[in-house]
Parts: sequence; structure tokens; C-alpha cells
Amino acid sequence: MTNAAMRRAQLEALVEAQGGCRATPPLLLPADPYFDLAGEEFGRRLLLTADLTGAEHCLRPEFTLPIVRDYIADGTRQPAAFTYLGPIFRQRETGPAEFDQAGIELLAQPDGEVALDQVFTFARAALSIYGLPTHIRLGGVGLFEALLVQADMPAAWRPRIRHRFGHTEAMERLLARLEAAHDSPRQEQPTRDVLIEDVTARMVSSGLSLSEGRTPEEIADRYLEQQALDAAHVPAQTLKLLRDYLAISGDVLSALRQIEALAESHKLMLGAPIRAIRRHLDKLGEAQVSFDAGFSPRLDYYTGIVFEMTGRNGAVLASGGQYDRLLERLGATAPIAASGCALWVDRLEAEVSA
Amino acid sequence: MTGITLAVPSKGRLEELTREWFAARGLTISRPGGARSYLGVMEGEPDVTVRFFPASEIARELIRGNIDIGVTGRDLIHETSETGPDSVHFARSLEFGHADVVIAVPEAWIDVTHLHDLADVASDFRSRHKRWLRIATKYITITRQHFARAGIAEYRIVESLGATEAAPASGVADIVVDITSTGSTLAANGLRVLDDGVMLKSEANLIVSRTADWPEGKKKKLNSLLTQLAAEPL
Repeated sequence: MTNAAMRRAQLEALVEAQGGCRATPPLLLPADPYFDLAGEEFGRRLLLTADLTGAEHCLRPEFTLPIVRDYIADGTRQPAAFTYLGPIFRQRETGPAEFDQAGIELLAQPDGEVALDQVFTFARAALSIYGLPTHIRLGGVGLFEALLVQADMPAAWRPRIRHRFGHTEAMERLLARLEAAHDSPRQEQPTRDVLIEDVTARMVSSGLSLSEGRTPEEIADRYLEQQALDAAHVPAQTLKLLRDYLAISGDVLSALRQIEALAESHKLMLGAPIRAIRRHLDKLGEAQVSFDAGFSPRLDYYTGIVFEMTGRNGAVLASGGQYDRLLERLGATAPIAASGCALWVDRLEAEVSA
Repeated sequence: MTGITLAVPSKGRLEELTREWFAARGLTISRPGGARSYLGVMEGEPDVTVRFFPASEIARELIRGNIDIGVTGRDLIHETSETGPDSVHFARSLEFGHADVVIAVPEAWIDVTHLHDLADVASDFRSRHKRWLRIATKYITITRQHFARAGIAEYRIVESLGATEAAPASGVADIVVDITSTGSTLAANGLRVLDDGVMLKSEANLIVSRTADWPEGKKKKLNSLLTQLAAEPL
């Protein structure tokens, strides 16, 4: 056996050894759930095809969604563990569109933090098969949400800021806009009724349905809200807090100390999410761990802690975390804890041969 | 092989303007087989084979390297493939066919003037209306790239192959991404371009394929042709 084949066999063995169910979802999947869950940004990575009825299908672009959908359809809601290893298909700028991914999904586990530890252990074991050192980049979704809830600002700004978390440029543009808003003059506004009448007239004259999409009330309300928001400033101190927080990046221990100092000076209670991160660090031992306060996948179902394990030149070898909101997004009727990660098998092998 | 394949638009105003543009620079393109022939010649340039193609096929074939140089819209290079702009060399603008790819919303959306407003509306559209915000366009690649940069992910594209500006009124989509030179068609359909809604400024370009084979002799021939056309050499 070649060394590469040996490593592959060991990875197979690792995937089998997790005490879970080996999942083998079909290669051809309906495309709509992916667009529904992740929007066009992920949609453009799909390899699409249509059947005779015109329904769109895609070649399996990842494993989590079909695994979780099947789990929800089963309706057991019992703790479950799934692993997988097999080809996935994505449009990529370089490299073939077909490549292997391996991973683990831990669903409805009694302790979400223990589950995440198992995910870390699995990913590190995979890296060690390839003889690679573990560089972990952590992100705190739970931490940022806790900070945002407590930071002093008009409530309507919170979802707007949360929405941009994980997209550095969009966040920067919003913060810059909020900083600049402080001296814009305020004009007198028409009343809601006048606005609704005006918007209705405009919609009717351009032939828009008043009920199918955005309604005149919704538009008028958002218009007024927007005016109110422009007047309702986010305090300069809060903007500075957000900037200072999002700029924190580097060795995890010193990053957490900086966050604690920031929490202290702004009187924020961030103890619980910080402790959650520290608990995992104890288990990570030798690994080189950094924390990046602005790091988050651009998907709103991620919760607590998220991570990437990287190789040379920052190539992402493993990525995952906690996503407690995913099962509800896919139709579960109650919250169900979930965590897991995916491994980029071709990149692992490329790290070895380079 | 040192022969160069030049692709020019096969019909309409674009064909006319392209041939006029070359003629004004001393290079006459003729179509010996008449308007139904897809092969042409450039007088006095035996090394240049002229082919007549629809403009969108010119973009695709330039990116693939099946033709060497061609005249088509910048928008089509960007739309055909994400890697399109890197696969070609924009040698020069032909100064016609000006048009912008823009984001336009119903004029009644008085609360939406900028992309960041659209980001807000998109982010809670699904919880309000039980469906995604829908964008009608034929510019799928350009839209996805631009919206990704703007941090907007919560939308669905409805592919539109014609009369995109009518999509909001017909209930097919909420907003549009469309190409416009004056904005008058959009305005006539009750649509308004966002203040920061210009995604791409396009015009007809003389474009060289970077993915085609360029052995030394052929490249030399190309660059002398480009110099004659006051275009930037490869």
C-alpha cells in the first residue's frame, strides 16, 4: 500500500470508530433545501441539473443537510451520532469539482460542550493521521451575541449588526455609517397614514400587488423606523466597544484576557461564554489555538463556538462548531443541540505531499 | 499555426457598429457569403479569420480559448463565468454599447435607497413573507458576486430571459438586476435604481483570450494588429 492509501485507510477506520451511524446520503439531492438554507451565495457552488418535470437537483455538495433532514424525518429526537466519508461536488475556482469530505454530526446530545469536545478530538485525530500539527482558529458566536444583547444601543440596531457578523467588510461599512450618522440633520417626517397612502398610490400606479410582496404598511413602517434609527444613535462608546471587540485576534489566552478587560470596563457579563471557551482549551492540550472575535460562518444557524483547523498558507483543513439553530431551520419543532465538523480530505493529503 | 481568429457579433446594431469601427481604422471586414454566412474576411489581412457569432457565444468562446480575439460586451465576460475577467485581456473599449448592470427596486419602496437598506429588507423578508426576496435577472453570476461582497445572502434569483423590468409588476420577483443605458425602461416600469446600485459599467470591448494558444509568431502578429487599433498589447 502507498502511504496515501494507508492514510486513507486510517481515515476510514477513524470515521468508522466514532460509535455512530455511517451515513451515506444519495449523490443526487433536491437543490431547493440548499437554496432555502444557505441562499444564493452557497447556491452558486452547486452542480445543478434538472429532471423532466423541471425540478432542480444538485450533486451532493456536503453531508450535513441530508443527514439532519433524515434525522428530523425519523422523528426520534434521541441522541444520535453520524459520520461520513465520501465524494461531494462543488464549483471551485481551482481543483476538481468532485472531492472527498469526511465528518461527524452529533445531534441532540445531552451535553453540547462534551459533544464539541468529541468533534475536536475527531478532527485532531484526522490531522494526526496526516502527520499535521493542529492550528485551531476559534470564533465565538455565543460570545458576540451575549455582548450584543448587553451593549447599549437602540434595540432595532441589534439584528442589523448581528446580521453582518462574520462579514468583515459589511460590518465595517455599517459601523462607519453609524459613526458618521452622528451629525446628520433631521427632517420633519410625514405621518404614517400619509406615507401609506403615498406608497399605495405608487404601487398601484406601477401595477404592483399590495399583498403578494412587501405591503404599503411594511414599507411605511420601515421608512419611519429607518428615520427613527438615523436619529436614534448608537452611542459612540458602544461603537468603540464593537470595534475594539471585533479587532481582537490572536493567541486564545491573551484574546480572552482582552475580552475580559473589555467586559470589565463596559460592565458586560460575558463570564459564561468565556468559561465555555476555556473549558475546551483544557482538552486541546498541545494544539496551537487562536481566537478571532470577528470570525463566524455567514450562516445564522451557528451558535456557541465555531472553529477552523488550518494548514500551511491558511488552507482550511477542518471546519465546524455548534449549530443549535440548524434543526429548527430545517423543520424540527423544538430546539435540538447539534455540533460537528467537516474535513477537506484532498487538502489534508495535499499538506502531506507538499 | 499563426492565423488569428477574430469573432465579431453576427447581427444587428452591434455588428454594424463593430464593422464600422474596424473600417474607420483601415480594416474592412466583409462577409462574402452574405448575412447568412458565419465566415468573414478582413481585407489585406490573410492571417485573420473572421467569424460571426452571437455576442454571448463570443464571451464564452473567448474564455474557453476557442477563439483568439473578439468584440463583445464587458458584462457578458463577467456574466459567463466567475473566472471570465481573468481569462481574457480587455485590449480596449470600442466606445459604443454603453450600458450599466444595475439593481432596481420598485419606486414605491421609499425606504430602500441603498444596498444596506436592501440587506435589511432581505434579512427579515423570509420571516415576514414566508419566502425569500426574489430578484429577477439574466445576470446570475454578476448578481451573486456583487451581493456576496455586499453581505446579502438571503435572496433567490429568478432567471429572466427577457422583459426583466416587468417582473415586479407581474409578481414573478420583488426587484430586478438589469442592464440599462438611460434607465428610462426601468423608470417606465416604476423601478428606481439604488443610489449605489450600479454593479458594472459595460461597453463593447476588443477582447483577447488569455486561454488561447499564443506561440511567439502568432502573438507578434496579434500585437501588431492591436497596435494598429490603438489597443493595449497582450
